[in-house]
Amino acid sequence: MTPEAPVLELQDVVREYPGSPPVRAIDGVSLRIDDGELVAIVGPSGSGKSTLMNLIGTLDRPTEGRLLVEGIDTGLLSDPALAGLRSARIGFVFQQFHLLAGMNAVDNVATGLLYRGESRRRRRRRSVAALERVGLGHRLDHTPNKLSGGERQRVAIARALVGDPAIVMADEPTGNLDTVTSTEIVQLLHTLHEEGSTIVVITHDRELAADLPRRVTVRDGRIVGDEGPTAARRRLEQEVAS
Amino acid sequence: MRRLRRRSGPWRSRLRPSDVLVTGTVGLRTRRARAALTAVGIAIGIASMVSVMGISSSSRADLLAALDELGTNLLQVRPGQDAFGESATLPADAPSMIRRIGPVDAATSLSQINAKVLRNDRLPAGTQNGIEVYGSEANLAATLGAGLAAGRSHDAASVRLPTVVLGAVAADRLGITDLSSGPRVSIGGQWFDVIGIYEPLPLNPDIDRAALIGLDVARERFEVKALPSAIYLRTAPEQVEQVRDVLARTAKPGNPNEVSVARPSDALAARAEVDRNLQNLLLGLGGVALLVGGIGIANVMVISVLERQAEIGVRRALGATRRHIRNQFVVESTLLSFIGGVLGVGAGFVVTAVYASRQGWQVALPIQGLVLGIAAALAIGALAGLYPAARAARLDPAEAIRPAA
Repeated sequence: MTPEAPVLELQDVVREYPGSPPVRAIDGVSLRIDDGELVAIVGPSGSGKSTLMNLIGTLDRPTEGRLLVEGIDTGLLSDPALAGLRSARIGFVFQQFHLLAGMNAVDNVATGLLYRGESRRRRRRRSVAALERVGLGHRLDHTPNKLSGGERQRVAIARALVGDPAIVMADEPTGNLDTVTSTEIVQLLHTLHEEGSTIVVITHDRELAADLPRRVTVRDGRIVGDEGPTAARRRLEQEVAS
Repeated sequence: MRRLRRRSGPWRSRLRPSDVLVTGTVGLRTRRARAALTAVGIAIGIASMVSVMGISSSSRADLLAALDELGTNLLQVRPGQDAFGESATLPADAPSMIRRIGPVDAATSLSQINAKVLRNDRLPAGTQNGIEVYGSEANLAATLGAGLAAGRSHDAASVRLPTVVLGAVAADRLGITDLSSGPRVSIGGQWFDVIGIYEPLPLNPDIDRAALIGLDVARERFEVKALPSAIYLRTAPEQVEQVRDVLARTAKPGNPNEVSVARPSDALAARAEVDRNLQNLLLGLGGVALLVGGIGIANVMVISVLERQAEIGVRRALGATRRHIRNQFVVESTLLSFIGGVLGVGAGFVVTAVYASRQGWQVALPIQGLVLGIAAALAIGALAGLYPAARAARLDPAEAIRPAA
């Protein structure tokens, strides 16, 4: 892992689904996300942003092009090695929360560390800390059915963060929440970003995206826009370098 | 298209063995009622197999103990049929001839007397009670190993007097249980003192329905020849077969074909065999129940995998490998079946114990049966889980998390 390597880099990534003719869901996307960024990938439904999210999360593989996580070409990794990469370096937040029913908040968060072989006690300790970080220190023993939607999403965010991943993928994190709760969750994402986490939010919600420092717009499988303060600074840096 | 040899990276997924077990219980804990019902399927199969094994081994142990006690060296000689299909007879000297065979330890003869036994002489002559009268010898009880429920058997003195010893069924039919009042019965119109009642004889059920009087008394009182209608003999245990081979010729040297020779213990041994057939049938049924239970588990697991697609996808996203997912479901179905197996072995044991105690048997449940029951449950659970687990592991994580609409 080279220190200057970006957290995530896509080089001419193509994802084609078989058929006649084959469907190009992602058509030559190049994208670089650096440590500590908070990025929105925004686009209407059918734009290919879900495919992009699966590719970035290494749940799917590109048909062409390269995807590098911390400088490592994921195309060279075996399936179990990719699982290892996810367990160590990528956190996921889903629209439907996807918490495990019948398990309390701490145990749910601890599943974020389950596949790292850490001891039960250590998993529990880190999970409690993560829940406190998202403001749920008072809900440790609650099962999902006793939590509100916003609280559930906070548990899911804690689960994504608990292993200190290089990048957190949040797929429509406010999609199932009311406006007030959505604002709270977005506020939480900002706070985590300020504390140093790298977060990618995938959304169709332009309003939500507008709040974030960098906005990558996707349409028909291509990137059609990359704006915001971070993006501007990036372009400036690149010009200076060349 | 280029083929890549993919390799391991700097990060590895690891799941501790104790966590493998814990993740295997997640489905059981969150769907308790379903888990319980599924386990019952296996429990019924295991319980039926364990109780069949337990009951039949208890019953066989009991039967073998009985055979041991009764001895297998008792032989029986009866008149058969002559060449024209008519009832044949045994010569009067057949018993003494048989006693001369070397390995014969003892022999006793019974001669059927055509007379009726009645509780008193006022009952109409047509009264039927199915009791046969035999003239017998004083060594009858010793030769047959017959126990006495009351009184005594004939001895050298009483066998010459008008006395009678009754079989268990005969005594019951005549309503005689107690000899203290000196009961008498009317045999062919003559009074006989009842001096003893035999216990039931499993090898000689004929005698249970018999009234036994002295052979000489019978000849005297009823003026009959009283040819032997059955001869019982005990041989040296290791020479039963040899004696059996020469019995017919010895009993009726002129016409050995008219003699029928049998070994009463064979009937009991045959019962043990019949039991074995029944046991195999029941074991087969238990096996079918087990198979159905296994299919039930496989079914429930397939449904569970479908319902838990999202969980599988999330676990994959959190870093579970395909192998971790597969193991989780195999462990789950094995645990499910194991619970059923334990319940089944327990239930089978209870059924065996209750049944055996009702029959007055010792409970003889082979420990192998219990171990086998649990092992069968584990094996069935693991097998039943393989296919659903493979399906779970094959799921594409991206689709599992967000199933295509």
